[in-house]
Amino acid sequence: MRKKYTPYVMIAPYFLLYIAFSVFPIIFSLVISFTQWDGIGEASFVGLANYIRVFTRDKFFYKSLGNTTLLLVITTPVMIGLGLMTAVFLKDFFRRTRNAVQLINFLPYITTPVAVGIIFQLMFDWKSGIVNALLNLLHIDSVYWLGNAWASRVVVIIMQIWKTYGYMMVMCLAGLATIPEDLYEAAKIDGASWRHSFVHITLPMLRPIFTFLFTTSIINGFKLFDEPQLLFSDPAQPLGGPDRSVMTVVMRFYEASFQNFEFGYGSALAYCLFLIIAVVSLVVFRFINRGTED
Amino acid sequence: MKKMEIVRSIPVWVIMLILSVFALLPFYMMIIMGTHYSEDLYTGIKLLPGEYLRQNFQTVMRQNFPRYYLNSFIVSGISTAGGVFVSALTGYAFAKFRFKGRAPLLGFIVATLAIPQQLGLVGFVVEMRYLGWINTLLPLIIPGMASAFGVFWMHQFIGSSVPNEIIESGRVDGAGEFGIFFRLVAPIILPASITIALLLFLWSWNSYMTPLVVITSESNYTIPLAIALVSSEYRVDYAARILALAIGTIPLVVMFAFGSKHLIRGLVAGSVKG
Repeated sequence: MRKKYTPYVMIAPYFLLYIAFSVFPIIFSLVISFTQWDGIGEASFVGLANYIRVFTRDKFFYKSLGNTTLLLVITTPVMIGLGLMTAVFLKDFFRRTRNAVQLINFLPYITTPVAVGIIFQLMFDWKSGIVNALLNLLHIDSVYWLGNAWASRVVVIIMQIWKTYGYMMVMCLAGLATIPEDLYEAAKIDGASWRHSFVHITLPMLRPIFTFLFTTSIINGFKLFDEPQLLFSDPAQPLGGPDRSVMTVVMRFYEASFQNFEFGYGSALAYCLFLIIAVVSLVVFRFINRGTED
Repeated sequence: MKKMEIVRSIPVWVIMLILSVFALLPFYMMIIMGTHYSEDLYTGIKLLPGEYLRQNFQTVMRQNFPRYYLNSFIVSGISTAGGVFVSALTGYAFAKFRFKGRAPLLGFIVATLAIPQQLGLVGFVVEMRYLGWINTLLPLIIPGMASAFGVFWMHQFIGSSVPNEIIESGRVDGAGEFGIFFRLVAPIILPASITIALLLFLWSWNSYMTPLVVITSESNYTIPLAIALVSSEYRVDYAARILALAIGTIPLVVMFAFGSKHLIRGLVAGSVKG
């Protein structure tokens, strides 16, 4: 009575949509990446020239790769550390007000990234921003946040941490919930201090969550675009911030593909980014999981 | 003993208070600045609401904002509805049927979770040109209906919480396979559908890069595009721009206020896939 083709009919819509709008564009992009094409005229086949250009002649690619790496190397540990700390605090000290505190700290994560970029642009404005006003109250001179390379990076770092630590907190809370209370009880009976339990129970038990959070935050870090792009959305501001100091790889990809209309070269950049993400996340995954297999 | 604990928890409270202020300050500033007259924003920091909200609101409305709002609701609403349906149906097939190619196809879906969306973006734009979909809302609606995350999450949920007996009893009663899905399975997976709906809506509403490259005329702008592109032309009216930001984030805050449990559960479930 059960028809054999029923499951295929059920999965057909998904696969038709996915092949048409994801698989096809991805393969098409690969083909385009071997050409030189402005998207309008004739495309001419250039072999690996675009890829060679990415790695040998594009100084902005290296610059953006360096910026992106720098940003994620600094933000990832801070975000996860803050997330873990707040999660542990919430679990151990905030039994009654836990939900409210959790919501407040999670709110930045769901805010439209475009809005985040603009809000931070306003808050860190040299003349009318609240950050400089607060510094002035403390008798510290105003900082030209968005006009200086390193100050700009600091703003992007603060912005990323602000946006994401609440998400890390929620993830750590979910991980904490899976640790059996008996472990802590037993440790307490053995006279272990809070710190001792934290180091010898909490941290090892959260290892799978840490693996996940580190890997995904590196992947997401490489995809960073909306917020830093909007932080310097003013036409008067230079692309990617002063001296391109916060230009990310995806911003470089966007510039090449859709501002300079180098479709072939842009596609090659996208594939290089994908390769980098794949290799780095694999290495990180292996590194965190080392010694757990054997 | 009790007293010791209270004393020990003071630094914890202080740290959490500082972090909460840190989390809320940008929202607070956004709301406050949106209620002042633009020129006044340069003359000092405003920490209390002003009286210029109505005028700023009118300025925002004059900038075609209702139109962008409508576009965003159309895009996120339809793609979310379609996405939940497609995810549920596909997830159901993978969870409850044994068919040839099942394992590799499911493996393929999980593998695609790791692919960055930018990878095929150039090809996508060219494809949209051939289809004549450039500068329509279609590229923002239709492709979003195929969500690998949605399928995976539905597959997990249905596998663990829809009993096979219900499906079997439906078959014994002579119901068709799709009848079973719509009448017997759909009510059970409603909570999971809400979770997926919230996440898909959130991602669609916040999406910026795809609209940026496929939408060319202002009348088709979604909220993030409008915030990014229109308001920078109106920089003069600082306060109105900030109010527009605040209005653009309201739907998410409302959604979050009512569905935070579902939303958080969905994001946490995403971690299982790693």
